[in-house]
Amino acid sequence: MAGTRSRRSEPAAGAGNDRRPALARFLAEASGAEACEITSLAPLSGGSIQENWALDANFSGGRLAGEQRLVLRAAAATGVPSSLDRRQEFAVLRAAFAAGVTVPEPLFACGDTAVFGKPFLVMRRAPGTAAAHRITRDLALDPALPMIAEGLGRELARIHAIRPPRPDLAFLTPYDRSSPAQQIEGFRAYLDRHPTPRPVLEWGARWLETHLPAPVPPVLCHHDFRTGNYLLDGTRLTGILDWEFAGWGDPHEDIGWFCSKGWRFARLDREAGGIAGRASFYRGYERDSGTAIDPVRVRFWEVLASVRWAVIALQQSDRHIAGGERSLDLALTGRRASECELEILMLLDPSGLPADG
Amino acid sequence: MDDLPRGPALLALARDVLVNDLLPLLPQQRRLDALLVANCMAIAAREAEIDDRSRAEIIGELEKLIGPDFRSPSRSAGPSLSRIAGEDTSRSEARERAAELLRRFAGELRIGAFENSPEREAFARAILWRMTIARLRLANPRFLAANGFA
Repeated sequence: MAGTRSRRSEPAAGAGNDRRPALARFLAEASGAEACEITSLAPLSGGSIQENWALDANFSGGRLAGEQRLVLRAAAATGVPSSLDRRQEFAVLRAAFAAGVTVPEPLFACGDTAVFGKPFLVMRRAPGTAAAHRITRDLALDPALPMIAEGLGRELARIHAIRPPRPDLAFLTPYDRSSPAQQIEGFRAYLDRHPTPRPVLEWGARWLETHLPAPVPPVLCHHDFRTGNYLLDGTRLTGILDWEFAGWGDPHEDIGWFCSKGWRFARLDREAGGIAGRASFYRGYERDSGTAIDPVRVRFWEVLASVRWAVIALQQSDRHIAGGERSLDLALTGRRASECELEILMLLDPSGLPADG
Repeated sequence: MDDLPRGPALLALARDVLVNDLLPLLPQQRRLDALLVANCMAIAAREAEIDDRSRAEIIGELEKLIGPDFRSPSRSAGPSLSRIAGEDTSRSEARERAAELLRRFAGELRIGAFENSPEREAFARAILWRMTIARLRLANPRFLAANGFA
């Protein structure tokens, strides 16, 4: 989720070896194969909350007969309460896959901890990179980026076409419990526990509270739709990743998150995810959804995105400071809260720039 | 009295050796860790040379905004916060009082306490800007520059 897609929650390379026999048995049974041989099981980088494993397996018979390149996704040691569990994430992935969203095909979910030590899901492994700094810096990609942004707009429209009621997604938090007002309450509860006062975040939260948009019919929101959470194989989009925060919400929330400055990486000037101007991304979204994007609502959600990202950054560094996770990356992430605070000021007080810097 | 080179200069030298001499020798998959170490060293060096005057000025402005009557709840009286760097106020006491003032400021912003007075509201915003820029000068001056702040 938050932060760069690297150096996070990576299990030790040999950690999965003793789990291979049980995992192979599970895969064989779940796929209807006579047998399954795991030829490789290696940790992948990426995912701040989950651990991901590259899993190569050879299936004898069954619906996956032959060599398969898969990903196993399990909860990392530090669980974050607001994220979905793996079986829930699997159900969301299935719904997205069925709706035509470009996601790696979800194959199995397993809640039996005897198999891999923790619940997990298995999906196909899509080729490509999600490295945000590389994507936003690679000059060779530049000519294709507006087209990629438009494609991402279409993908998001397809995600938002999934709407309640959905019995298969009944576990998702209802919108009235993830509304902006609820989120503001959550931010404040966190700030009350945080040892250092953050006046800019308080000011931003107050602005949000006094500018709440009228509620809209909720849609499925990814809630972490951004550069760093999709895979590009060359210029081809091969997968939208990291669905662990999905829930019902205002469609503009995902649009604001995608465009917020915290996710533009090396190209702050390219407002759609650091890859293109907003026009390309908005065009793809509006054409596919048949709905016009409301810039006033997007601005609201961009301010909320900056407050949210700041709180997440502080929480990430809490994991190092108080949570017993020794990590330079986590320790440094807390410093990024000030970047969000600058963005809140730039969004809400553009004429207030101090003359002396 | 201190030995030379002093701490910040030593840190800068160590960072230079890390980035220019050691980093190229590391395998690709460990280079990000080395860059994170270099970033930590840069932040630590900037924080070691922190300008107490600028911090004291911000606290002084906060005191003006919150009101001359403000007293830290933990202390009934004390010297002016604008004299934070003065000899009559110990560093830890000053820090404690500054933290309390900051908490009060945050609390006032939460309830919109300055919103009925355009003048105080503008003053509060100016403090927020100043505070944020001061923080980023330490944490990420490059981000500040990329956003048009020298």
